Amino acid sequence: MFRLEDYENIIEKCSHCSYCQATCPSYLAERSESYLAKNRLLLIKETLMHERMPYSKRAQEILDLCLLCTNCSQTCSSKLPVVDIIIAARIKARQDSGGLKQFVMGKMLTQRGLTGALGKAGAIVQKMGIANKEMPRLASKSFDKMYSGTYSPAGEVKKRVAYFVGCGTNYIFPDTGEAVVKVLNHNGIEVIIPAGQVCCGIPPLGEGDLEGARTMVKNNIKLFAGLDVDAIVTDCTSCGMMFKEKAAKCFADDDPLQEQIAAVTAKMWEVTDYLQNQGLEVKPGQLNIKWSYHVPCHRGWSPTVKDAPRQLLAQIPNAELRELDNPELCCGGAGTYFMEHREEAGKIRDKRLEDINNTEADAVLTQCPVCRFYIGFQVKDREVTHPIKILARAYGL
Amino acid sequence: MQGLVKDLTGLLGSALVLSQTEEMLAYANDATHYFKSRIPDAVVLPQTTEDVSKVMKYAFTREIPVTPRGAGSGLAGGCTPVHGGIVMDLKRMDHILEIAKNNMTAKVEAGVVLKKFQDQLEKQKLFYPPDPQSASVCTIGGNVATRAGGPRGVKYGTTGNYVTGLEVVLPDGSIINPGGKFVKQSVGYDITHLMTGSEGTLGVITGVNLRLLPLPEANRTIVVVCESLEQAAEIVAEIIARGAIPGMIEFMIKLAITVMNNFFSPPLPTDGEGYLFMYFDGTESQVEYEAKLVTEICHDMKAKEVRLIEDKKAAQTYWTARANVYPLIQTIFQRATTEDITVPRNKLPDLVRAVQAIAAEEGVMIGLAGHAGDGNMHPSVLFSQVTPELLAKAEIAIDRLTRAGLDMGGTISGEHGIGIHKARYLSWELGDIQIELMKRIKQAFDPKGIMNPGKLWLEGGGGNV
Repeated sequence: MFRLEDYENIIEKCSHCSYCQATCPSYLAERSESYLAKNRLLLIKETLMHERMPYSKRAQEILDLCLLCTNCSQTCSSKLPVVDIIIAARIKARQDSGGLKQFVMGKMLTQRGLTGALGKAGAIVQKMGIANKEMPRLASKSFDKMYSGTYSPAGEVKKRVAYFVGCGTNYIFPDTGEAVVKVLNHNGIEVIIPAGQVCCGIPPLGEGDLEGARTMVKNNIKLFAGLDVDAIVTDCTSCGMMFKEKAAKCFADDDPLQEQIAAVTAKMWEVTDYLQNQGLEVKPGQLNIKWSYHVPCHRGWSPTVKDAPRQLLAQIPNAELRELDNPELCCGGAGTYFMEHREEAGKIRDKRLEDINNTEADAVLTQCPVCRFYIGFQVKDREVTHPIKILARAYGL
Repeated sequence: MQGLVKDLTGLLGSALVLSQTEEMLAYANDATHYFKSRIPDAVVLPQTTEDVSKVMKYAFTREIPVTPRGAGSGLAGGCTPVHGGIVMDLKRMDHILEIAKNNMTAKVEAGVVLKKFQDQLEKQKLFYPPDPQSASVCTIGGNVATRAGGPRGVKYGTTGNYVTGLEVVLPDGSIINPGGKFVKQSVGYDITHLMTGSEGTLGVITGVNLRLLPLPEANRTIVVVCESLEQAAEIVAEIIARGAIPGMIEFMIKLAITVMNNFFSPPLPTDGEGYLFMYFDGTESQVEYEAKLVTEICHDMKAKEVRLIEDKKAAQTYWTARANVYPLIQTIFQRATTEDITVPRNKLPDLVRAVQAIAAEEGVMIGLAGHAGDGNMHPSVLFSQVTPELLAKAEIAIDRLTRAGLDMGGTISGEHGIGIHKARYLSWELGDIQIELMKRIKQAFDPKGIMNPGKLWLEGGGGNV
């Protein structure tokens, strides 16, 4: 339920060892301990939790500058749920302020598929004054306008999966979605794309808009819970994390929806992770490509998701992986972070680009659409795309 | 402090000065957050030696306390501003200035993160052994200031053994460069090694010259499960006596293994009481020989299980888990205070027995882990609940432990330093004459007493838990 009071004991478990310095992107960009997970927990404790200090503008700024990337928790010896605590704090801050802080993208993401949603998004973007700066170019036709329903393989149906289409793929990169459908079909897997999907809910949740997130989760869970499928796949690691790790926490333990959430999340896979786990039915053809892998931050929800593209693409003859010095460094995109904190996100990306610019690869691959966009905006001399697209290419699809 | 922030901003510009309470919280503590602490009046983030010098000149004139700080991952309260004033955060001075393979030396700025430096060296098949378990974040300047060590101490020594020169900003802002790029020097007092381990009380270390080694070509990891703690300690003493020099020998109790076990596949059996993690490095034939010898010793001495970890990735998980033991233990207990007693290696079994006896007699839980190979143990008093009664008992237990270690010919700190944590015991080890001498040295470097005041020696009322 992301209630701050539920974390009162857990927050005390921070031993101040400061190991979070090794991977926190906002710390690494600024190198001031103010921006460290350790300090954010201290601030939450002093302000919103125990109210010994006012929740000042500066406190809010420091909390807002967290990218919710989860790197601190992955580094933390005791795996403290820092992101959940920060979400709980943002929810409380939002409630305390009467919920006035509007989540700007909320409307667009809950109304996917409705006429005019994209137009509204455009208007919002204009209002934010960022239209001419670094903004993803929306696809001329969104994925849900092109693909909906059941897509069967040419031969025998070996497995059936449902496909959850995230907003990144739906609005910006429908090419990823096409590759997902084609590659799965090519391997004898039937793909069902239920109509009526909306955003997974991570953007509003990250902004502290619990109600907004709940509406989205409820909608999606109801769509997927009743389906007779072997698995549910997504091409986006952040959507996967939202389903797998956050959806259940948005509701009370005894909420009737919990059972359906458990049923859906048990079947949830990132698509390359699923394919690697199942094994490819059809051997990919040769492809002369050198590629580097930018591992998305939201990888903690599956132990194998970060190795799946490496193992999957290793099966393509002549495709050669050139590991980055630091494949797991955050790019600064982080959902809508790059729109709200342009300068800070830019600094984080600059660090990320140091080794991307040094790689001899032709392509930089990543399963996160925001990373793909945000890195791609600066990397023009090589392709930045989703690993499933490379597999589709190797199949000649 | 009137005008402090304005003055500092004038010196460095506003981007390098922090002063809001929301930011100061982070700088009040190190990893000993349970000790008395207060937030600083300001934090500066110098980027150059000149920046440091400017701030020191100012602080010297105004007699404002200055506490140098690296990662803040220390275990003795060494970098905390107990008298307020300015915290000098050196993490932005993080350039590796030179790696001279032809001279086997390097020069770095104080804020370089140890692991980053070691990764760079490894690419050139070079090796800088000191390995405090916080290597992923701790800074080399902080390592020098605390003479940081780690598991490799048994074979390779600690930070102090690798420092050949320094750049230091003295309290009045003047800059000195004791030592240099050479590996030997016989010129007057050894200021380089006086600054090493001075815990920020004599000046600010801004640059470090280090000696390097070639990267060993091969390694082996062996894990030994022992019936009892004494058995583990005796095995260590025997290994040392037989002339094997492992790169690391880590000693742990069952409790540590239970918290580490989710790192391992398969998990370690938990029916032992003492556990040894050993690492051998050198040439292929050397590690082969030593691993075989040590395996024989362990079998001869009836160890329950001897596991040779062949797979490199699997071996790494044991060392990663080892690096995380202290924070892991902190998550189970409300508090865990870590001691740093180091005894002659043949006394290790005695120390282990003393720890067990004192824990039983005083009625406190004491966890035991440490770098057994060099006699450096980290007994930790574990509090499930911090109560005044338990604190009083713990205080007596730690006093007794410390006394026992000293009686065995040991020292109160092998690698963490004194800070505020061990100030209470300084006179036990050094005696009044040495402390007086040290105070005169302090006076010579820092006549106004502005460098990291409140550290090293007792100012009255110092606790140990």
